[in-house]
Amino acid sequence: MRLALQLLISHGRVARRMGLGPESRINMLRNILTGLVRHERIETTLARADEVRFYAEKLIDYAKKGDTDEKAMKMASFWLTEKDLVPKLFKVLAPRFETQSNGYTRLARIPNRQNLDRAKMAVLEYKGNPFPPLYPAKKENELTIINQLLKGYREERAQQLSVKV
Amino acid sequence: TMVTRSVCQVLQRNFASAAAAARPPAAEVHSQRNAIFSREQARQRALYPRIEKIEVSMQGPGLDGTLLVMNKGMSTPLSCARHLTEHHVTNSVMALVDGKPWHLHQPLIHSCSLTLLTFKDSDPTLVNQAYWRSCAALLGQVLERAFKDEFRAELLSIPEVPVTSGAFCCDVVLDPQLDTWIPSEEALRSLTRGAQQLIHRDLAWEPLEVMPSVALEVFSDSRCKQEEVEQKAAQCPSGTVMLYRCGDHVLLSAGPLVARTGLCSQYEVTALHSLGQGAWGLHRRAQGLSLPLQLQAHHTVWRKLRRRAEKPVRTNITDFFLTRLPKSSDIKAKALRPARRRRAVSVLGQWCGLMLPHV
Repeated sequence: MRLALQLLISHGRVARRMGLGPESRINMLRNILTGLVRHERIETTLARADEVRFYAEKLIDYAKKGDTDEKAMKMASFWLTEKDLVPKLFKVLAPRFETQSNGYTRLARIPNRQNLDRAKMAVLEYKGNPFPPLYPAKKENELTIINQLLKGYREERAQQLSVKV
Repeated sequence: TMVTRSVCQVLQRNFASAAAAARPPAAEVHSQRNAIFSREQARQRALYPRIEKIEVSMQGPGLDGTLLVMNKGMSTPLSCARHLTEHHVTNSVMALVDGKPWHLHQPLIHSCSLTLLTFKDSDPTLVNQAYWRSCAALLGQVLERAFKDEFRAELLSIPEVPVTSGAFCCDVVLDPQLDTWIPSEEALRSLTRGAQQLIHRDLAWEPLEVMPSVALEVFSDSRCKQEEVEQKAAQCPSGTVMLYRCGDHVLLSAGPLVARTGLCSQYEVTALHSLGQGAWGLHRRAQGLSLPLQLQAHHTVWRKLRRRAEKPVRTNITDFFLTRLPKSSDIKAKALRPARRRRAVSVLGQWCGLMLPHV
């Protein structure tokens, strides 16, 4: 459930309505979140990915309290339907994000689904996963011949300007 | 003293032109150099009459653990690249054999590890320097062939300049008759065109490591080249010198060159400055700018780089010569004389059909 300007003017409809009811929604998000913790990168519809993103971040915040914390353990065992993932959450994911305070996930749009509903699709992932990057890495090499020529050109320009001043 | 100096100069010039008259024609010199190069190449190839196998382990992204079984003294790094993909064949510029730079056409003589270098490596400094050297060698080749038969152009050693200096350069001594010649825009353009024809032909630089005696025989008609050979042989720990051949032009190089002329894409001869009187006559420095096919520049960027490449490149030797440059007003006065200018154009022209009538 996210608060945004659009929601303030939405005439009482403050959340996306998903599934068959509130309980069904929670169960669906639990299943997706379990999949996310297991695979670290999943593909769902944009609405579901966007909804589950909040819970995925919150779960890491709780996991950072450590596995001795009662509330953290309670949240982990509620949100992860497959219990073998609880150690992974505390031992792998929580240490990975120790230096960060937020922004543990990344959401990327992908082309709409090709079946009849043409739903908007998205990829949701935990940062620092072992998969190839979602976006191509920008290659910047200062040592290539053209960049070396331009470096010489810039240096000469700077020298000329400093002489003028 | 001025009078005696000018008299000396005139005498020197007369002497030089007499020597030029005694020289064999350029075509004969080239064919003779070629013949000696071919003979030595054939001799070196005949050193491995039996086919023996060597193992070459490839290094590089996606090639770890690749082992090629090649022929000793016959297979080159390029033939190794041909066993991989077309990308390796077209993009390889040089090779590293056991960590040492190796020309792409030079046969491998023992089992080794091989890395193919490209312009887009994470550290292409070695490749850049080789490319700069090769472009300068190409410029020298163009200069030697561009003039008509009655004007002899003698190449001096190619100065090593870093890429950041903005232009590669090649020192040349032209015929004493051309001492007053000021190269025009069109003359430079026709030189550029000559270089581009060589690039279009996609000629390979063939390497050959020879003993100094062979190199001296190759350059038997040029005193300054012979001195360079002796100097290079003294510097090299093994006492040998590297000769390269591109088309029918044999040259001496200070370091490894790139594989072929087709790697150049944008190429322009930007300037021909005179450095003043030197040991062999009026030294001139031709400058140019080039970029490889894999890294081309947008025309706005190219224009800026080009403008910078027109300025004289400074090396230690240049600074010495520039102090002795004639006054710029003299040069301008000569350049403005129309008859002179027309003659200047008629000097060149073999490359581009710029054959104007003699004046």
